[in-house]
Amino acid sequence: MIDVIDAGRWTTIQDRGRPGLERFGIPPGGAADWFAARVANELVGNAPDAALLECTATGPTLRSDVDVLAAVTGGHVAVADWQAVQVVHGSSLAIGTIAPGLRTYVAIRGGIDVPVVLGSRSFCQLGSFGGGFGRPLAAGDRLRLGKNVGHEPLIDPWPPSHRLPVQGPWEVHVIAGPQSDAFAGDALERLAATASRVTPAIDRMGLRLETPALRLQAQEILTVPVTAGAIQVTPSGGLIVLLVDHQTSGGYPVIATVISADLPLLAQARPGDTVRFRVVDSTEAARAWRRVSGWLELDR
Amino acid sequence: MWQVAAAGDRALLVTVGTVIDPSLLNEVLALDRALQDRRPSGLLGTVPAYASLLCHFDPAITGPDRLEETIRQLEGTLEAAIPTGAVVDVATRYDGPDLPQVALKTNLTPAGVVERHAGREYLVYCVGFAPGFTYCGALPEEIAVPRLASPRLRVPAGSVAIAGRQTGVYGVESPGGWNLIGRTALRLFDPAADPPARFKPGDRVRFVPIP
Repeated sequence: MIDVIDAGRWTTIQDRGRPGLERFGIPPGGAADWFAARVANELVGNAPDAALLECTATGPTLRSDVDVLAAVTGGHVAVADWQAVQVVHGSSLAIGTIAPGLRTYVAIRGGIDVPVVLGSRSFCQLGSFGGGFGRPLAAGDRLRLGKNVGHEPLIDPWPPSHRLPVQGPWEVHVIAGPQSDAFAGDALERLAATASRVTPAIDRMGLRLETPALRLQAQEILTVPVTAGAIQVTPSGGLIVLLVDHQTSGGYPVIATVISADLPLLAQARPGDTVRFRVVDSTEAARAWRRVSGWLELDR
Repeated sequence: MWQVAAAGDRALLVTVGTVIDPSLLNEVLALDRALQDRRPSGLLGTVPAYASLLCHFDPAITGPDRLEETIRQLEGTLEAAIPTGAVVDVATRYDGPDLPQVALKTNLTPAGVVERHAGREYLVYCVGFAPGFTYCGALPEEIAVPRLASPRLRVPAGSVAIAGRQTGVYGVESPGGWNLIGRTALRLFDPAADPPARFKPGDRVRFVPIP
């Protein structure tokens, strides 16, 4: 068992989420930075769908009553840097402040064993279910470990050449649309030429950005289904970029959509960070995906 | 003519119209069913709403052009898909905090608003936004009012609300910008149920006032 001594700012249990249930209003969820989460599981030799901890801004302090192997990836913390560490029984693992970056992943060999709800162990904030407790972790929670392993742990730290950045300024690649019609012909070009700034209004549902040097005009539209990465433009000209726990439909037109390979970047963005969007096509998006997912095919 | 647009690198959005219209929902549901029957390779899942269908695909198996071609082949070939099921009564206590304001804005009494909202049949156009949230329409023009200027951070589950020509019921406690006119005890979302949402697009509902 793992005891939660201090829960940190906003620590939730996540896995690969529950895509495919959007028609019931259920967001896909799962780790916001899918790449860092996947690497954390790789480092301890877990199966890719093992549940782990997603820590936000300040991580938890954990204590185990058995020897466990943990891995820490994503936003930078002092205790470990994209590597597996042995936690001896009775000792504690203090994740502490996360910076640079916003979200740090803690995988423990075997995965965290909480009930599967609607196909996933992930906590869903919009529905207050999953993640074992139907809420973020709290001090005093006890976590049981599973047996969801896939291979031997990796001894070396994950190579820096095979990591995504966790610090801005961010260059984020987008594909135009789907509601390109709702905007003036050059709106996306103007957006791509302008620096956007991350506001303090950020969570797993999405990030609000402001573009002080640009005023986009947009009317509300008939409610449409939306995806993670969608960049919605509100009637006041603000931007909302949807993340994994996004609402499943919305009435703000979407000017462009962030490519899957770059979604982890937005999961690490902090208030005040600068974001620049660069427009690409589906071929470039596929290339970016192959590059990042290729990093996971390391020789063991 | 359907509009097919990329929604990122692993989804296409098919838009069949831009207004609330039963025949457009019909087209969306017919396309949805046809895709579920045919299972084009690489199609992972679909999400219907009012007049559009989101199609998630695996880019390792198919591409946006190939999937669009499959979808385009279905245009004009589809038959009606809305099932003519029973109308479900949604017992509603009309005591929502925005009812007096809605009455003021529409030059009606609160009872007049309730009378126009209840006792008629609505089509479920979409389940989305948050778990179990059920979008219904179309609301009579006489009681159509805009969304709240600033959304509430917390709207209780079961809240019956209106915005524009839409009426809806909140499935879980969530933020929300619609005008709250009542509340139902009907459970619209249950993660342990199959399916987890009480309604689906194409269902019919009627709001029945209870004291």
